Amino acid sequence: MQLTVVGNPENRRVTLFTDAVRASGLPTPTILAWADLLTGAAGPPGPDATVRIDSPGENPLVDRLLRRAATPARHGELLGLSDTYAGLVDGVARVADGGADLLNDPTEVAVLCDKRRCHARLAAAGVPVPPALGPIHGYDQLRAAMDQARWRRVFVKPAHGSSAAGVIALTVGPHRIQAVTPIEVAPDGLFNSLRVRRYDDEATVAALVDRLAPEGLHVERWLPKVGLADRVVDLRVVVVAGRPTHVVVRAARGPLTNLHLGNARGDLAELRAAAGPTAWAAAMQTCEQVAGCFPGSLHVGVDLMFLVGWRRHAVAEVNAFGDLLPGVRTDGRDTYAEQVHALTTGRWSRWRTAAGRPEAAGDGCRPEAAGDVCRAKAAGDLGGRTGSTSEREVAGCAV
Amino acid sequence: MISSHLTSFAGAPVVPFDPGMALPEELPPVAWRLEIEDFDAEPEVFADLVAAFRHEVPAESVRALVIGEWGAAYESALPVGLLVEAATEWTDLRHLFLADLIGEQCEISWITHDDITGILRAYPQLETLWVRGGNELRMEPVRHEGLRELVIQTGGLPGHVSRAVAASDLPHLHRLDLWLGQSDYGGDTTPADLADLLAGDRVPALRHLAICNAENADDIARVVADAPVVAQLETLDLSKGVLTDTGGEALLAGRPLTHLSRLDLSHHFLSEECAARVVAALPTVEVDVTDPQEVHVYGDRQYRFTAVGE
Repeated sequence: MQLTVVGNPENRRVTLFTDAVRASGLPTPTILAWADLLTGAAGPPGPDATVRIDSPGENPLVDRLLRRAATPARHGELLGLSDTYAGLVDGVARVADGGADLLNDPTEVAVLCDKRRCHARLAAAGVPVPPALGPIHGYDQLRAAMDQARWRRVFVKPAHGSSAAGVIALTVGPHRIQAVTPIEVAPDGLFNSLRVRRYDDEATVAALVDRLAPEGLHVERWLPKVGLADRVVDLRVVVVAGRPTHVVVRAARGPLTNLHLGNARGDLAELRAAAGPTAWAAAMQTCEQVAGCFPGSLHVGVDLMFLVGWRRHAVAEVNAFGDLLPGVRTDGRDTYAEQVHALTTGRWSRWRTAAGRPEAAGDGCRPEAAGDVCRAKAAGDLGGRTGSTSEREVAGCAV
Repeated sequence: MISSHLTSFAGAPVVPFDPGMALPEELPPVAWRLEIEDFDAEPEVFADLVAAFRHEVPAESVRALVIGEWGAAYESALPVGLLVEAATEWTDLRHLFLADLIGEQCEISWITHDDITGILRAYPQLETLWVRGGNELRMEPVRHEGLRELVIQTGGLPGHVSRAVAASDLPHLHRLDLWLGQSDYGGDTTPADLADLLAGDRVPALRHLAICNAENADDIARVVADAPVVAQLETLDLSKGVLTDTGGEALLAGRPLTHLSRLDLSHHFLSEECAARVVAALPTVEVDVTDPQEVHVYGDRQYRFTAVGE
């Protein structure tokens, strides 16, 4: 198998995946730089290649090329999110033009990177998600829609943002308003920062929403997340070929739990103990169900929140490039090695075939019984039994 | 911000009440949690829950109660009337927590209350009362023989509530916590509002006093340093607030604190030198000066925050 990675070569995502491929004994993957693909300096990989598409983020040149802009954005500037999205969709389509076997289905990437479409797909499949408002075009309309829904707390998310970029946790009361957000409002633009701020004057909040709205907004009801000790917690679950394999707890001092906002990884054992086995199993089943909605994606990164009381959970986000969990290992494999393992054992091709089958995807996921069997096998894997893995997988998961 | 619910209260595990839940013959001591799931529900939903609780749970097992979400807590006051109505049945109720809500449900300065005097009058045997949130909180001065522990946690404690607490006769009160908070969130308690309390006459059994989470911690430290009540205390807690060297110096210059077993100044803005001097001056006291805070500078303004706000 000759793997190609489309990515930013300097990014550690590419390095970590390359390392995992080499460690498995496969040939070193070919790196196709986003910049070369977007400028036309390089063409798409040919039909013999198996292609992983990774995030185009964290590279100013690639950002400018995606937006088709003449000048680079200033550091952290929230600019042209919908243009970036259009560029990504085009770029992924260009990768597909060469006829290669893709580990990220282009249409699924397009859905995953549009929070409105992703939410709709999950909701249609019966995945628990927070209820959402319809299209929102500005602050006044947002307030009217919130009033009509009788909601006082919402998450306002740019439709094409990633990593909490531009997200606002908004509370409105009878006499007060509060917005918690990493956005810094500067005289010359909006900047995404690494520090969470609070705005409590309505004029600022209204201006913020109005400036983000033209790029597309997705607004969800703010469901109360559980806490452990003095932190609000939720989960990032990486699901590889339909199986939740890697989990980190994200522990925050406020509603925004993304780890780059100064938040810390929490204690998974403590969280599982607090949730109890039934709630935990139900949450992992939901993650499998989410993956079933994206059968052409080798992995998805599911952000899952338990709600106050631990009895219910909901999916807050699904990430197309959500597998950067450095140092988290299951059965000795990090998220990248897990994906390579799924490729080399054939687990990926079997799951993709099964999950993508129309009769199996009636509600966007696999049949219940098969899911149960797979879960039992996954539990076995977590127990450290690594022998005869492929037979068990064939027996358990080939639905 | 407070992010997790209590798992035990007054020494008993917290158990959420579910209508229709199976109850064992012999109920172990529990703290019942009453909370509705739909956080924006109409008042009838919580009233129905309380009614079901009264119907299903034997009154003699209601010794400790924790009230969680009652619906739209950011604008609808906790319906204390429902609890007052049950007082003739719940004669064994000793421990009550009004509003164990975490920030993800309703941030502390938004939690809305009513006049809680009725609770104290209806439950003369009550030993523990915790209240979280100060928005529209009211209370009249009372004489209450039962109360051992009174805790009022707020992001902003109205001065009139502080005056009512200070003017109450609480002969058996052992522990008192008042979180004063910030003026931005309705906290306008001044040292003068606490004068009756600091005299100590109305709280002869008081041994543990916290006047904390205070934006005006320096002003509080100044009056506490000269307060007669300090002589009867075992622990003094001025933590979570904006205590600077001004307050630290006041404590050093005030009445002796050497009899205390513990002095909690954690989450403070003291200089290292001043913190070290306080520790050195009280060699037999456990002085907590952990969690030193930094001044936040935004533009040309400086900000010093209490530990729990918003």
